[in-house]
Amino acid sequence: MTPRSFEVFAIVFAVVYALAYVVAVEANYALFTYHPALKEWGAGVQKARDGPAMYWFGWLVTSGFVATAAGFAATALPESVTRRLWPGWTWVVAIGVMIAFCYLLRNLFLR
Amino acid sequence: MWTVLLIVHGLLAVALLGAVTHQALSVWVPARRPAGSFVARFRSVPGASYANAMVVLYLLTFALGGIIYTEYRIAVRTVVEQLELWSQSGAFELKEHFAAVGLAILPAYWHYWRAPAGDHARTRDVLTLLLAFIVWWNFLVGHILNNIRGFGT
Repeated sequence: MTPRSFEVFAIVFAVVYALAYVVAVEANYALFTYHPALKEWGAGVQKARDGPAMYWFGWLVTSGFVATAAGFAATALPESVTRRLWPGWTWVVAIGVMIAFCYLLRNLFLR
Repeated sequence: MWTVLLIVHGLLAVALLGAVTHQALSVWVPARRPAGSFVARFRSVPGASYANAMVVLYLLTFALGGIIYTEYRIAVRTVVEQLELWSQSGAFELKEHFAAVGLAILPAYWHYWRAPAGDHARTRDVLTLLLAFIVWWNFLVGHILNNIRGFGT
């Protein structure tokens, strides 16, 4: 991968990962579930069994797959298109997502 | 075993905190003249030399945090919820989400630190500041939650 291709990959990865992660959390698109009390993994979203269910690992992997695929797909685009990618989207989207999570979790801080 | 993992996680986090703080200060408030004081020397490090170490430290701290998280979910969060410490619980929720956002920007952060100085320097600087915020937030929240549960209880 050339430095320019990696830059395109990195920009798209940052943006898509952050956005996909919010969607994965909000819609609970976890590729797998972990049951810490049982020390068991399960495919997809599963209900809690004998203790809590953890979806965070599943959300991370779901977002990782989507972002990696999008990043590689972007590297295949012509340079005339990728040249328009503004590197600032990496931090703009990241900050936006962090603010979104603050808003989504506001009830925990306002009780 | 959990105690050992938690201590190693904490030590890695301290190293990460030091590295990212050095780097963020070196780009946002660089030392303009030969460093004399401790603070000036802290700000005058060559930030680029920290980038690889930062990525490795972030990934290691993240991975170890992920392992410990499974124990936290049972042994700590349950107690925090029973005590109705909702703000603290929310702060930890933010910690896990901010850590994921940090993971998202890590390749871009690494790339812009390797790129020639001047090319997208502002992007590099903001990403570094963002990572510094995430690392500080996660460090402090992790520390507070650990204090709530208590050591070895």
